[in-house]
Amino acid sequence: MDTNRRQLLRWFGKGSVVAAFLAQIGAAARAFFPNVLYEPPSSFKLDAPLDYPQGYSFDSEHRLFVIRQADRFHVISAICTHLGCTVQWRGTEFDCPCHGSRFRPDGSVIGGPAPRPLPWFDVSLSPDGLLEVDTAEVVPAGSSLKLPAKA
Amino acid sequence: MNQRLQAWWRKGFWAWSPASERESAEAIVHNLWLHWFPAKVSRRSMSWSYSLWLGTAAACLLLILTVTGVMLMFFYTPSVERAYGSIKDLQYAVSFGRLLRNQHRWAAEGMVAIVFLHMARVFFTAAYRGPRALNWLTGVVLFLATLLLSFTGYLLPWDQLAFWAITVGTSIASQAPLVGPTIRYLLLGGHLVGQQTLLRFYVLHVFFLPALIWILFAYHMWRVRKDGGLAALEPGRAARVMQPRAMPASKSYSLFGLTPGTSVAVMSSMGLEESEQVPASPTLTRRIALVFLVVFNLTLALALLVDAPLQTIANPAVTPNPAKAPWYFVWLQELVASTTVRFGNFTISGGLLGGVLVPVILLALLVAWPFLDRSSRASEGVWFARERRRQNLTFVAISLAIAALIFVGVFLRGPYWRLYWLTTPRPAMPRVL
Amino acid sequence: MSLLFFVLVAAGLWREYKTAWRPYQERFRIVLEQQGQRRQARAFSLGIQQIWIPQLGVVDRCVTCHLGYDYMGVLPADLAQPLTPHPLPSLIARHSFNRFGCTTCHGGQGWATEATAAHDPGDSWNDPMLTPRLAARYELSVGQLLQMRCNFCHRHEQATPGMSEINLAKQLYQTKKCAVCHMVEGAGGHSAPDLTYEGDVNPELLDFSHLKGPHTLFNWEYQHFIAASALLPTTAMPDYGMTPPQARAMALLMLSWKRLTYPPEYIPAPPPATHSP
Repeated sequence: MDTNRRQLLRWFGKGSVVAAFLAQIGAAARAFFPNVLYEPPSSFKLDAPLDYPQGYSFDSEHRLFVIRQADRFHVISAICTHLGCTVQWRGTEFDCPCHGSRFRPDGSVIGGPAPRPLPWFDVSLSPDGLLEVDTAEVVPAGSSLKLPAKA
Repeated sequence: MNQRLQAWWRKGFWAWSPASERESAEAIVHNLWLHWFPAKVSRRSMSWSYSLWLGTAAACLLLILTVTGVMLMFFYTPSVERAYGSIKDLQYAVSFGRLLRNQHRWAAEGMVAIVFLHMARVFFTAAYRGPRALNWLTGVVLFLATLLLSFTGYLLPWDQLAFWAITVGTSIASQAPLVGPTIRYLLLGGHLVGQQTLLRFYVLHVFFLPALIWILFAYHMWRVRKDGGLAALEPGRAARVMQPRAMPASKSYSLFGLTPGTSVAVMSSMGLEESEQVPASPTLTRRIALVFLVVFNLTLALALLVDAPLQTIANPAVTPNPAKAPWYFVWLQELVASTTVRFGNFTISGGLLGGVLVPVILLALLVAWPFLDRSSRASEGVWFARERRRQNLTFVAISLAIAALIFVGVFLRGPYWRLYWLTTPRPAMPRVL
Repeated sequence: MSLLFFVLVAAGLWREYKTAWRPYQERFRIVLEQQGQRRQARAFSLGIQQIWIPQLGVVDRCVTCHLGYDYMGVLPADLAQPLTPHPLPSLIARHSFNRFGCTTCHGGQGWATEATAAHDPGDSWNDPMLTPRLAARYELSVGQLLQMRCNFCHRHEQATPGMSEINLAKQLYQTKKCAVCHMVEGAGGHSAPDLTYEGDVNPELLDFSHLKGPHTLFNWEYQHFIAASALLPTTAMPDYGMTPPQARAMALLMLSWKRLTYPPEYIPAPPPATHSP
């Protein structure tokens, strides 16, 4: 056989083994990234917006506060940014019972060891008319959801 | 740049493609992976038709099984509540999970078959004679460990197939006189197949049995070198006029110093002519790589084409109809089902006759044969030597009988253990809806 | 050999990429855009979806393909399967997807991410999906067949709105006085088999020699209510001569009586006692 052709064939052979081997390693690595998570979803639905009273409502299951002001809604996380305890609403401020962090009604820090303000989560209206919160989406403080005017 | 790359490549991988005889010899000494091999191997050992490279194939399968097995350990949970679900997750939710599980399963089935064929080859070539008897015994232990590995792994999916196969298998084991029930009690971790059984089988399957196999495998390989290479060399050696001369004492290895015999030197192939030898690197290494590729391709192709079986979740209250042991034990189940002897009021259970006595006798024969074989040294390393015709034919006959029983058990037994021919439709079992 | 290796690995990679659900998900994103659901379309990410309810042991990946399930009233009801929104919004309002999943009511193999494995897994899965084909085999509609599963939780109610067949069957159980011979949950007679978990009977143990039609537990129960003596000549059960619809309703009731444990919050509270003045 022609030396060049033989070399080419040999190169093809080695190349395909190397490529296939690397592809196997890649596939094995991909397998370790889970496709399904056995965790509560980061995005979930709450109750219908009109079911919420004016002011601050605590949702203990999801650890957040739903705040209604007239027809505007926003959601603040109840998880203290210090070490993760659940903060309590005191009417004028949030207090954390664990290490004494204090937050203003908009989540910003008054005092205590908390390093960051309480995050605001993205809130929207689901197709079936319920409040939908996405805890993976942090929105700037001050944004809110305005209910569409009913016809 | 290219020069630099090439030089760097050369520096790292020169041992695998040595450029000269000298480099080839040095490769064996300098490289960790290659130090297993002798510097030179005989041409005869490289023959495809002598050994069929079955032992190498078994080693390749062992490697594939270990790697796929460790990967599977990240996804499987050995709890009766979670095991079945974790297998379903592997099938549907893990990327390449289905392929991973299939490859592990088919490599395992292949391993049992290849190990048996390797044992048959060694028997037919009388490669267990003389000093190789110890290696033969090691091989028998490896064979049993392979069967046990397959058996313990069979339970892990915790589906009906697994649960009842292990119920049948451990019930056969309990028929052994005196120790049988205790063996079953230890295996099951109780009286019933349950969480304890699953956990014990899991630990045996992922740790103890693989550790045993790898350690024995290393010893098995070491013995091959100590015994002077493959038995294929024996006819060549016998043909030469060999006086029992002092072996060159250049190398001396022993395992914990317990090696029997008068000389602790390795019977190297240095007694062979130059022309009958080839350098181990790259000839042997390339051949092993080729065998590995063939074996891997086969398991991968099978894994792509055929799914490993999975039935409904294990239900102790409902026995599937029929309930079968894994294929490599179903010949025992056939024997158990048909060897119950009744005379008058007295019954000898088929479990004892077929399930315990027959395999124990066969095992005892396997173990003792190197010491019972009366043929001369001339038949070593020769396929189907005339002198050994009777023993070879007996081995073939027994193997065929076992294979026939396996065929009947796997393919011809239907509901209620009745016999059905391959093409006869099985009766549809009643369902709920 | 090397080329074969390469080809096989490539085949493995290709198969992993070419999942059954991918085209449906890509189509759904387009549908969302077309229907004006911009925010949802943007937030939509490809991948296996599942509803996980640990209290029920439910892992439902149906929603990987059946993506429109939650868009009742938003997406058109005649959208082609598998993207069709779920019908019966008033029912869903009281049986939300997050609390019940899909297989609780519909059966089938929730773990699967392929259609055949999910809908028709055959012998490898205990719990058949209640398909129109299955229902038609017994001249029922899917809604009627599904009532069997409703009764898993609603078993102790006398009558439940939306469960007309089961309600009829419970009524017939009273009026035909089955409890004279049969015991259910500790109440009743001893001369006939205990029916408390009749739905769990292993069909392989039944005698089908006199049964016409498919050899199924449902059919066996059905025959019992038409004419029990035709099924078992030696039976002491009288021939009730029920009409086929009545017998079907009774069979549904029998099959709904299974050994299931649901957490207490899933069992409807008994109705308040009404005292007659």
